[in-house]
Amino acid sequence: MQKVIMLDPSRCTGCRMCEMACSLHHEQACGRSYARVKVVKFELEGIDMPVLCQHCTSAPCTTLCPTGALVRDEPTGAVVLLDQLCIGCRMCAIACPFGAIGIDPRGDRASILKCDLCEGDPQCVRFCEPGALQFVRRDQLGADKRDAVVRVHLTADRSFRRGSEGG
Amino acid sequence: MTYGWTRRRLVVDLTNQTLEVEALSEELLYKYVGGRGLNSHVLYQHIDRETNPLGPENVLVFGVGPVTGTLAPGSGRTTISALSPLTVVRDNVPCLGDGNFGGFFGPALKYAGFDQIVIHGRAARPMWLWIDDEVVELRDASHLWGLDTAETMTRITQERGDSDIQVACIGVAGETGCRFATVMTNLARAAGKSGIGAVMGSKRLKAVAVRGTGAVRVARPADLMDAVADTIIALRQDPASQTYGTEGTASLIEARVKAGGLPTRNYQKLGLEGWQNLTAESLKRYWTRSKACFSCPLHCSHHYEILEGPFAGTKGEGPEYGALGPLGSLVGNTDLASVLYLDTLCNRLGVSVSMAGSTIAWAMECWQRGILREKETDGLVLEWGNPEVIIEMVERLARAEGSLGSLLAEGHYHAAQELGRGSEEYVIHVKGQTPGMTDPRISPAWGLAYIVASRGGDHLRALVTPEFYFTPEQAVKYFGSEEAVSRAGVHGKGRMVKWCEELRAMADSLEICKFVVRTGLIFPVWLQRYFNAVTGLDWSEEDIMHTGERINNLERSFNVLRGLVRSAETISARFLENPVESGPYKGYTFDPKPLLDEYYEARGWDENGFPTRQKLEELGLGEVADDLGHAGKLGRG
Repeated sequence: MQKVIMLDPSRCTGCRMCEMACSLHHEQACGRSYARVKVVKFELEGIDMPVLCQHCTSAPCTTLCPTGALVRDEPTGAVVLLDQLCIGCRMCAIACPFGAIGIDPRGDRASILKCDLCEGDPQCVRFCEPGALQFVRRDQLGADKRDAVVRVHLTADRSFRRGSEGG
Repeated sequence: MTYGWTRRRLVVDLTNQTLEVEALSEELLYKYVGGRGLNSHVLYQHIDRETNPLGPENVLVFGVGPVTGTLAPGSGRTTISALSPLTVVRDNVPCLGDGNFGGFFGPALKYAGFDQIVIHGRAARPMWLWIDDEVVELRDASHLWGLDTAETMTRITQERGDSDIQVACIGVAGETGCRFATVMTNLARAAGKSGIGAVMGSKRLKAVAVRGTGAVRVARPADLMDAVADTIIALRQDPASQTYGTEGTASLIEARVKAGGLPTRNYQKLGLEGWQNLTAESLKRYWTRSKACFSCPLHCSHHYEILEGPFAGTKGEGPEYGALGPLGSLVGNTDLASVLYLDTLCNRLGVSVSMAGSTIAWAMECWQRGILREKETDGLVLEWGNPEVIIEMVERLARAEGSLGSLLAEGHYHAAQELGRGSEEYVIHVKGQTPGMTDPRISPAWGLAYIVASRGGDHLRALVTPEFYFTPEQAVKYFGSEEAVSRAGVHGKGRMVKWCEELRAMADSLEICKFVVRTGLIFPVWLQRYFNAVTGLDWSEEDIMHTGERINNLERSFNVLRGLVRSAETISARFLENPVESGPYKGYTFDPKPLLDEYYEARGWDENGFPTRQKLEELGLGEVADDLGHAGKLGRG
């Protein structure tokens, strides 16, 4: 069963450890500019939220890539980059509705910066202590939220029983 | 291939409007590491007996560490150092000073390619420093001068069109030279101690803004990831860290009450009716979410919003115990919404919350005792616990407005010298700085820590949490006596403060947040793991402690050369002579003498607190020993 990264924005503390883990894993160096996930901060409102590749089922980036450098990796379900085919045209970045595709800020490399789910062991999830980023089975999407909704009613279950006993 | 460090220092001369980049040698970096350590070295080199803290000859130094900007936990901090306009080694002789803030400024500076910025001179008109990777410019700040810190950050990021630009700036308090003005970043992160904001203002430097697109090379990525993964597990298993992670330092209100020691009315009493209004529990109705600094899994901060009442519309981050105490209980104020408002107000004005609160508390006690009268307060009635009065006093002191404002802007120690009339007796301070709100009568190691702190009156130089958290067995193992962890004890406390100070100096120089390593992770192995993984070096735990000791001895020598003597290592009479009135520590007073004796001995200093040649040479500070020798201040023995 494939897994996807699920986001719970209310838990994000804005620490950016996801960015550090991502850049460290891919580049052996830590720096926001090299991270494939980016935390957006609205400081005055106190809001923080990571934005990352959603590995869309029908991915606009893949459709628009002129060289076929973006392909689906079957085991993980991720949309991944074939480095050697990338010409750095940035059409994928234009197509992506989330702004989740980046490019080397120094211009050293042609290829784009693209999440590949770390081959099935996403490091951003590993280091997200508050649990804003979680790696869940496709069939478990939203399971923890559903649990939370019902848990509220554990204390109110008498009202349910009264209803079902009804006369 | 450089790992960790950038090995580049930006040197700014505001008088001559020049900007230069200097290389930092390996030798220098291995000796002083970065952050606070390397900053203190710059102060040691550039400050002399004639330096006026608010004059152009003072030097303002921003420093980050080798692990800044990496996955290492809490690696977002920056130390800003200068000769202090607030703290003294004794009388009116200025002391070594620094402030330190978290947030996100430090990593940006690192990504732009700098370990340190050294700022000399004074600009002819207000300026701000813009660092955009390799492009560095001094720009006109006439449109920023007078703006509060939030407005300044917003203006700069909007002008540059990038909300991720990191800004360190002063508010109106720094501009008017309030002795306890701060440098702010990310709206609520304060380099709050030592009046660093006043130094920046005296140089007519409104802000330093940075955008960096680089990255910090890490020598052993897998080791760093393992160390951080282990850190997260360890933090979750450490109850004190868990409390900090959910409630932040606000948890200390209840902790101090339980220990019988929540100071109120300028420490006239310990214990306050209505203290429940100031607890973490009470704050939950204003807290909207947890917030973290850069790369921190502890997320000890909170965003807050006040939706109703007279302070509706107030939004901010915090508050820390360092605000709840001084702006709450210390001034007899149990109106929580007003404390939040005051916290954000101080951040916007760029004023230290703890010094504001304690200076106001001093003034209120003076009013209570008839020492201050309406003539001096411009008609304001300095009533304990009145939020409107407290707010008015903060607004005035930030602008040095009127007789009262300009008196308070000096900070209580200097203000009392000006006022006289016996008001000096009511100043609660160590070397001009208000101590942390942990009463020395109930925590003697904290008292010792305040009196020996190299930047004056500071709990963070030692952050001697082992007094609360170590077991008697640990106390014997590390400090030679069970008494170290007993409130009434004496033995072992000097050694305990020394041990903590070495670790905290290393944390401040690597720039790892001391809250991450505050309790369960205090042991040197943690700093060692982060440092070695990033730099590729193989320092032992002993190397970590030794380097921390070197930095502490350098700072000590700096202060001794300026005139520090043992008789200045004391604290207000209120703690020495007035026993605790009630609670589990009824009858306790604070006696620094035996603690200081043990501390000096453990440090290898003589009975005056002067470092000896032997100790300094052991630490590779032979030249510092020569300087002390020339000044006749080398420790005997």
